[in-house]
Amino acid sequence: MLALDLLVNGLIFGLFYALMAVGLAMIFGVLKVVNFAHGEFYMIGGYAYVLISLKLGIPPWIALGLAALAGAGLGWLVERLLMRPLYAGHGSWSITKDEYAVVVTFGLSLLLINLVDKIVGPYPFLGPVLIETSRFTIGPVMLNGQKLIAAGVSLCLLIGLALFIKRSLWGRQIQAVAQNRLGASLAGIDATKTTSMVFMISGLLAALSGALLAPLINPGPDVGAFPAIKSYVIVVLGGMGSIWGGMAAALFLGVFEAFFAVYVSYAYRDAFGLLILILVLLIRPQGMFGEKGREV
Amino acid sequence: MRFSRITALLGIAFAASATSAIAADPIAIGISIAQSPPGSVVQGTQVKDAVEIVKDMVNAKGGVLGRQIKLIYEDNQGIPEKGRAATEKLITKDKVVAIAGGHQSSVCLAEIEVAHRYNTPYINTNCWSDDVRKKGYAEVFNPANYNTRVSEAMTNTIIAMGVKSVVAFAENTDYGIGQAKITGEMMKARAPGVSYKYETVDRAGKDFTPAILPLRANPPDMVVTIMLPPAAYIVMNQLYEQGVAPSAKTWLYDGSGLADYPDFWQNVKDAGKYMISFALYHPQMAIPKLGQDVSAEYKKRTNNEPNRLIFQSADSLLLIVDAIKTAKSTDPKAIVKALQTMKFAGVRGPFQFGKEQGYGFQQWVDIPFVNYQLTDVNQPISKTNLIQGPGQKLDVNKLVKPAK
Repeated sequence: MLALDLLVNGLIFGLFYALMAVGLAMIFGVLKVVNFAHGEFYMIGGYAYVLISLKLGIPPWIALGLAALAGAGLGWLVERLLMRPLYAGHGSWSITKDEYAVVVTFGLSLLLINLVDKIVGPYPFLGPVLIETSRFTIGPVMLNGQKLIAAGVSLCLLIGLALFIKRSLWGRQIQAVAQNRLGASLAGIDATKTTSMVFMISGLLAALSGALLAPLINPGPDVGAFPAIKSYVIVVLGGMGSIWGGMAAALFLGVFEAFFAVYVSYAYRDAFGLLILILVLLIRPQGMFGEKGREV
Repeated sequence: MRFSRITALLGIAFAASATSAIAADPIAIGISIAQSPPGSVVQGTQVKDAVEIVKDMVNAKGGVLGRQIKLIYEDNQGIPEKGRAATEKLITKDKVVAIAGGHQSSVCLAEIEVAHRYNTPYINTNCWSDDVRKKGYAEVFNPANYNTRVSEAMTNTIIAMGVKSVVAFAENTDYGIGQAKITGEMMKARAPGVSYKYETVDRAGKDFTPAILPLRANPPDMVVTIMLPPAAYIVMNQLYEQGVAPSAKTWLYDGSGLADYPDFWQNVKDAGKYMISFALYHPQMAIPKLGQDVSAEYKKRTNNEPNRLIFQSADSLLLIVDAIKTAKSTDPKAIVKALQTMKFAGVRGPFQFGKEQGYGFQQWVDIPFVNYQLTDVNQPISKTNLIQGPGQKLDVNKLVKPAK
């Protein structure tokens, strides 16, 4: 029965990881840069949800939507002000200044953490639950309502994102830019607009993730570090830039971490994720679902 | 002749103005705290609030030796290397006469090495690890609580309650692991029949469910938490969510004085009800007039109730001020000597530092503590179920268990 408990909880946390990681994977897919401030999008989402609902008295479901909008807005702003110089002036298809992206996103991460720390304060906040339910059992598994709802919303969002990427025109444009930015531009796709959209989606998903987990994981200014590290592992594990790979890797990591913690060592649970990362880089550097790069 | 008289007068005037400038120079005291993550900014903020109050009180009364006190803050971010650099900077560049504020054991352990090297007095404000004392450095003074004190108190309570199995969650820091180990040693020596084990958890962790789930199948009689917020809050919420503790079967016992943090109830809600807590402050404790003044000023400035960290921080700065007065000097060596011998009357009452090597070295050995139980959500500390306190022996029969 413990195994079932671990499986369910691992899958639930895997869904939360996935919601964070796919945004990171999308940005890498389109721009080939790692957004080191991704965890802070999550933090902003958590804070926006808590402050909007607790301080302004707005119902939690509306606060959830507003937190998502805050994340999308921040994503748009970051792309417009900080990321665009990556390719501006080098032709819309050419990406340069890789080191710039590392420095600017890392700096942004520190800036956001310290801004929130100084403006809102260092105290963590437990967010309000979306639906008032006490803990309950499903068979041998004990859950609380918030966790189940957060998992359900995450699943719906991931399915929705998958359909959006696969079926919609915008989704196909994202795929095209991720595959070949120059080719997509030659085919008439506005790569700049697509990049902006990817940042907005990425910010929205991370912020939603933070907001959904705010009633479970008391957000403080540095709350984003933990999910961000998990996301980096997942993105490499699933294949850099692969959204599907990211989703699968997130579920895999969530479940295996849970089992490893109980049957091997809890103390080394996080090290286990990093060990997988190293093994993947050594044995299959393109990740579980990534493709080998080809030099032309 | 006339020229030389004017020159002499000008010389005297210049010398007098220079002397008064020196006399008016403030006394610089270094405060090394976490003001930004990943350190405990919550604690850092409280330390700063308290020392600011004391500084203003001292300066309003004319300062020390006719000089005002100036506090120089350094942000150590709760990182030992940053703490080491901060201490080095405070001593060598800012020329502080003493340092206070340390509130995370790993950081204190790094900082005291620098203070020791420069023979600068170091007042440990809130680092509980016994190792800070065991170093035996003459410059380090400890008005703060220490791990052995907590472990002793908790072991006594656990034995009195008659529990047979205890699982502790300890954060992966010098403080957490240290306290978990000492408690284990004491339990082994004094209650060998009690099963005790501890799990080390990441203080930056967010999901502790895998460590908690096995306890559902085989619940212990007591779960002990040796952790700081926010991880402590998350563990408590997940223990409650999984129905492990507090429950009809399992007690929850906090060994880090969580309940008097200003954000405690906002972050734990139902998970805090029925928790037993070791603590260093309770409104029933006799607080001298000076402590009451600091308490009133803290409430006025922050709108929060004071807790033990406010009093510890206030005492840390007052110790330095009193030592300067006693030594009639700001020379670090003279301050150290004064601290070693003087009897101090602070905001928590009078005490003198111990001299015996080990965990009691230059430590307020008999630091007062309480044990209480929270019996309702949002309960203020004054309304808690006090099971051990000043002038009140441990009475575990007063403890209340949840129905389910």
